[in-house]
Amino acid sequence: MGKWSRRAFIGAGVTAGGALIVGVAVRQGNPIDELGPLLANGENEQLLNAWVKVDTDNVVTAVIPHVEMGQGVHTALAQMLADEMDADWNKVQILEAPADMQYVSDSIGRDFLFPNLQVPALLEPTVAGGILELAQAMGLQFTGGSYSVRATGQRAMRTAGAAAREMLVAAAASEWQVPESEITAADSMVIHARSGKSEPFAAFARAAAEQSLPAKPKLKSPDNYKIMGQPMARHDIPAKVDGSAIFGIDADVPGMKYAAVKAPPVIGATVESMNASTAKTMPGVLQILNMGDFVAVVADSYWLAQQALNSIDTRYSKTEGDGLDQDAIFARYAAALDEAGEDGGDTQTEAGDAVQSFAEAATKVEAEYTVPFLAHATMEPMNCTAWVRDGKCDVWSGHQAPVNARQAAADAAGLAFEDVTYHNGYLGGGFGRRSDNDAIIMATRIAKATGYPVKMIWSREEDTAQDHYRPSATSRFKGGLDKDGKLVSWDNIHTHLFDPADAPTVPYYNIASHKIRKVDVPMHLRFGPWRSVDHSQHGFFIESFVDEMADAAGKDGYAFRRELLAESPRHLKVLDTAAKMSGWGNALPEKHGRGIAFVPSFGSIVAQVAEVDMSGPKPKVTKVYVAADPGFVVNPDGFTAQMESGIVYGLTAALYGDITLKDGAVQQSNFHDYRMLRIDEMPEVEVALINGDHERLGGGGEPGLPPIAPAVTNAIFAATGKRIRALPIAKHDFA
Amino acid sequence: MLLLIRAAALSSLIVLAACGADPAPGPVEQIIVREPGAAAAVASAEAPADALLAEGKAAFANCTACHTLEEGAPNGVGPNLFGIVGAGAGEVAGFAYSDALKGSGITWTATELDSFIADPAAKIPGTTMVAGAIADAAKRQAVIAYIDSVTAN
Amino acid sequence: MIKLNVNGQPREVDADPATPLLWIIRENLKMPGTKFGCGIAQCGACTVHLDGKPVRSCSTSLSAAEGKTIATIEGLASEDGTLHKVQQAWIEAQVPQCGYCQSGQIMSAVALLEKNPRPTDAQIDEAMAGNVCRCGMYGRIRRAIKAAADIDQPAQVEA
Repeated sequence: MGKWSRRAFIGAGVTAGGALIVGVAVRQGNPIDELGPLLANGENEQLLNAWVKVDTDNVVTAVIPHVEMGQGVHTALAQMLADEMDADWNKVQILEAPADMQYVSDSIGRDFLFPNLQVPALLEPTVAGGILELAQAMGLQFTGGSYSVRATGQRAMRTAGAAAREMLVAAAASEWQVPESEITAADSMVIHARSGKSEPFAAFARAAAEQSLPAKPKLKSPDNYKIMGQPMARHDIPAKVDGSAIFGIDADVPGMKYAAVKAPPVIGATVESMNASTAKTMPGVLQILNMGDFVAVVADSYWLAQQALNSIDTRYSKTEGDGLDQDAIFARYAAALDEAGEDGGDTQTEAGDAVQSFAEAATKVEAEYTVPFLAHATMEPMNCTAWVRDGKCDVWSGHQAPVNARQAAADAAGLAFEDVTYHNGYLGGGFGRRSDNDAIIMATRIAKATGYPVKMIWSREEDTAQDHYRPSATSRFKGGLDKDGKLVSWDNIHTHLFDPADAPTVPYYNIASHKIRKVDVPMHLRFGPWRSVDHSQHGFFIESFVDEMADAAGKDGYAFRRELLAESPRHLKVLDTAAKMSGWGNALPEKHGRGIAFVPSFGSIVAQVAEVDMSGPKPKVTKVYVAADPGFVVNPDGFTAQMESGIVYGLTAALYGDITLKDGAVQQSNFHDYRMLRIDEMPEVEVALINGDHERLGGGGEPGLPPIAPAVTNAIFAATGKRIRALPIAKHDFA
Repeated sequence: MLLLIRAAALSSLIVLAACGADPAPGPVEQIIVREPGAAAAVASAEAPADALLAEGKAAFANCTACHTLEEGAPNGVGPNLFGIVGAGAGEVAGFAYSDALKGSGITWTATELDSFIADPAAKIPGTTMVAGAIADAAKRQAVIAYIDSVTAN
Repeated sequence: MIKLNVNGQPREVDADPATPLLWIIRENLKMPGTKFGCGIAQCGACTVHLDGKPVRSCSTSLSAAEGKTIATIEGLASEDGTLHKVQQAWIEAQVPQCGYCQSGQIMSAVALLEKNPRPTDAQIDEAMAGNVCRCGMYGRIRRAIKAAADIDQPAQVEA
């Protein structure tokens, strides 16, 4: 085993088989041995909490502590590691880290909890150790928040790659008796040009592990990047075109049976009684379970289980949610906002005196916006396979926080964390939904009751009606312009705050006086993070209101935003790029319109221009121009795909997304009444990428979403003069 | 101010994490019909009087994903089919038909239904019936006979 | 026992004839490439070919498939492992994200090109509108279909 410095963050070692392994320690005194059995290929191999392994065949394996749900994280993080290491990209392999506490990402913990934390290098181990404990407590081996590249990639993968390279070079220098400074590395080879010597990394793997550990490996500057910044093909794609990619729902356990489930339509109710007299006689049925909070049928096939479940007559308890309809919810929001008045609610940010500046404004504008509840509607319905027996539990699913899932299964099975093995498959869509543990807990409880392995699958109807929704919300604005049409006052109050805290704020816009407040309104529905989280609604609220203020000022939406961003050149460049791509200002055909929106989120700055054609019976979005600055784009094709994807997810919601309640229950059930954007409605999307700050990276999975709804509604306003203040667009009549 | 906001976010996350520690209750009621591997009891299927209708009923199971057949049952993805044989196209109340189907002017005789079910999009281009085509002519006859029999009864 | 022909192989299954073909393929035949998305022929994730035509296997009963030729994503590549030109185009255009809908997307695209080797944009939209992609990769799907049909080339990525 390698040497572990008490204070160093980096560890290295050599496996019995001769492979070099390098990790960035997640904490001091990391118990290396515990991880060996989890990652080792064979009996003779052991691993540290490794991020990289160099095998004897010169294959470099990047160990990625994040899950792949289509965002390309495995490939992008491997690119970061391989580039710093000067590895041969064609020989890089990728391994997803096991669901183990040692892979809990301290980088994420840091960025998540303390995004602006700056500490002297000397203090880093202590601070990081503290954060790690917090992150472990919260089970944060988490993929979400668009954090992977900007946190784990920047802090851990690159450092590990650079450290491995420095140690290999040092080993070669020692062997060849030449100065380290004369040795270079390229394509997984160490090279001494003057003597003509070159050897594969693997030749020095064992010796490298004996080198002293670099305290602070030197990272490349962007002009030396070879793999970062390149549109490398994603490693997970080949298995996704031939049917061989194994998702959570594809788990296959010998002797496995199938469960269909139904929970009370009104969230929070319990099952009072079930009449299973017909179900008991139906073919293939093994067990019928009233679990108190849901009913399950276990059968020889999923379809038989679902048929039997459909025949069960279930009575549910009364709850406070009974009788609650959609209109009543928005009435509650209005009442809470009314009650908060000028000074109530929780103030999130405040500068100047927004009330006074509004009173003194030359032009005053007030507006109220609403957005509905939204379901995630991942293509893969929620599911989990579990097997509880002999004091052990195995769980198979696709989850955004595998450590959290493992703990949830342990709690549900009444076992210790160590007695649970969690197997993560590919995720058939995450979007925040697969950070919840509900499916894991339900499947584990069913499997505990049966004693044999059970695959639980939610029907699409169940998936739609039992989601953890993006909250519906109402947001009210008062805005004031001075006599020159300059935005000087901004007063916003809205319902709900989930995450991130900065979503309702507009620090990038130069507005002298502003006040932003929120009020909480209790609801029986469960809320969960939904792609871009609170930015999904606040992007719409803010950028709609900015457009209304521009209109009140008699200014064009682009020119008005330029004024607000005048002191932020990096922001301005993004806005200008999108406008220029779109030919902003050029004439469009009659009943066509252009709209612009600008939303920085998750560390990335994104501007979009949408074009709509309003000549038909319903709006048609024809083109979307995107300019994005995430600091530095690690994989341009992957990042572009994330922009495209965020736009479709956001456009689907803007046009159609509407989860409504009747008598406390969700009314939508499947794709015929919860509509998805389809290929014939797909706009052309053009993406421009800007590398504005290579030191501090932003995310990719979420920032493409928030600008699309307001860009489209602003375009509809430009085309028709009709201002959409309530989503979805489909409930408005344009005839 | 900034610190307060972060602290609020942190506390909410910790609450979320704590949810995982809730005790997970076992079943309130557990009906064990049989153990895996045990032979299933022979289901006493209703003996259908007419083999054609039985075949039609089995084949119609495929249609129930979208269509109901009982009188007064709600429309699903497709319209309720009670009384469809002999009815005019696009006449079931409360169902949002495609313009193509509504404007087709077809009366659903057994023959018309037969050619429609054989290939809906070929018969009425623009129909929203994207699934459920039955290529097998005998099976189509059986399904139509079954639909008609339910209405007749 | 019901006899099926799946990807050129004779198979027999013992199951309720009303069972949707999807679950027979996934559970009885242990071929998980065909996916469950909605159960009511609204999303296309379960698309397979029945006698060469694309059908939604979630809404096609086992009895309806009896004696027919069934093709799934697993049988698309040739026996030596060479991918179908549509699969190759899918990789070149880097189409899949989460990948869950892609078996169905590819099966629909293959059926389209077999019927219509050089489809127009409108024909592509029409043939593919039954397949939902929640990751929104529709632009890439269009590009990949055109590439497979030699209509134009998708943007290249480095291997």
